[in-house]
Amino acid sequence: MISFQDVSFRYPRSKWLFKQLNLEIKQNLITFIAGPNGGGKTTLGKLMAGILKPEVGTVLVNGLNTKDVELAEIGAKVGYLFQEPERQIFAATVRDEIGFVLELHEIKQAEITAKVDAVLKQFQLEHLANLSPLKLSRGEKQRLAIAAIMVNQPRFFILDEPTTGLDQERKEILSSVIERLQDEGIGMVIISHDQYFMQRHAQQIITVVGGEIVDVANCST
Amino acid sequence: MWQTAALDPRTKLILVLTFSSLAVFIKNVYILFILLVVTLVAVRAIGGDLWSIFRKLQRFITIFVAIIVIQSIFTAHGHVILQIAQIRLLTDIGLLRGVQTILRFFIVIAAAVIMTTANPRDIIQGLIQWKIPYELAFMVTIAIRFLPLLQEEAKDTLTALQLRGVNLKKIPIFKRLKTYSYLLMPLLVSVLMKSRDLSVAMEMRAFRAFPQRTSLRELHFRRADYYVMLLSILFFLMLLFTAIKIS
Repeated sequence: MISFQDVSFRYPRSKWLFKQLNLEIKQNLITFIAGPNGGGKTTLGKLMAGILKPEVGTVLVNGLNTKDVELAEIGAKVGYLFQEPERQIFAATVRDEIGFVLELHEIKQAEITAKVDAVLKQFQLEHLANLSPLKLSRGEKQRLAIAAIMVNQPRFFILDEPTTGLDQERKEILSSVIERLQDEGIGMVIISHDQYFMQRHAQQIITVVGGEIVDVANCST
Repeated sequence: MWQTAALDPRTKLILVLTFSSLAVFIKNVYILFILLVVTLVAVRAIGGDLWSIFRKLQRFITIFVAIIVIQSIFTAHGHVILQIAQIRLLTDIGLLRGVQTILRFFIVIAAAVIMTTANPRDIIQGLIQWKIPYELAFMVTIAIRFLPLLQEEAKDTLTALQLRGVNLKKIPIFKRLKTYSYLLMPLLVSVLMKSRDLSVAMEMRAFRAFPQRTSLRELHFRRADYYVMLLSILFFLMLLFTAIKIS
């Protein structure tokens, strides 16, 4: 699904963070990216989503080279959940937030309503449909952000530190969302420090330290 | 070369005011070009990042071309250089006015880079020593401090929107305008949240607890500051006088 071929990357005016990195992320697994702060976890996630482009080598997403395609083209296939969900909330109501991208794609109103209703139900957001996203709790905002991505029907998700700031109850809700996504055959990369969360969901753990992949472990959940 | 720390922020402010006000007053393209060269030399001498100016300007290339075309279309006189059907796309006057605007833009951005070499705390202190109320000086500095952050956030928001499968280039123009309105929402929320957090943090540190505020650090002009200020005033008068004489 996502493959790194001899990828080297550095931020402007900085030294190399990744050098000749080779990596395969499979579609049917939940892959965790773990490691200490500043090791390059989020950068790796951003390279996977095409937000950052490698200086050398290629990152292929479903066979598409991230250097050659528009971000929107990757976005239609890969959903990316930012660490701060506020960053990806754009509309005035929860319903609009889920539906506005479909409107921009000129899909018929009846179809949009049906899709939005289905996603609202799937993520248990029906009772919040007409509220402003700003009034939601952090956990609800996060579910909304995932729901809004889901309406595009991506086949893969990248979640950056999804458990940050969530209490145990909210983590349980997030866990059930992740399990539901997995049941639908959606592959995931989760960048996380959360040991409990990792043990519960990880099928593969990639440990990144100082820009190097020090371990790739397969695990059974 | 002067060391960044050697010049007082007030001297840098005078330099910025000199260059940017001259850029507004002067119309002659040749004098504007000289002013640009002097501004760039000053930026380099003070330790500013010249490449950052060029990087900033790269983003405005389309706007620059649009300015030249708009000036050509809406200026009735001048020799036509490029015409399609009855529309005068490029005239010598349009080109000249376009170049004027671009040079002004270039000078103002370059002059602003001078202030990036000053410590924000020193800028506040400098303004206070000029008898500007502390609250106002603080607000100005906060605005300067947060502008690059906002720019970064605007970029991230655009990325987040694109990752939702929205390709702005492929959306019809009217829908595109509506899409831009969606970009404002997270930015506005972020600004409001930041200002709320900042105000709480300021209150916690007893901002305005006492009417009189003293400062441990005081700024003092050095000899280099007086030379630079004198030079900039002379340069201002000389260029203004030359520009008036030529026009």
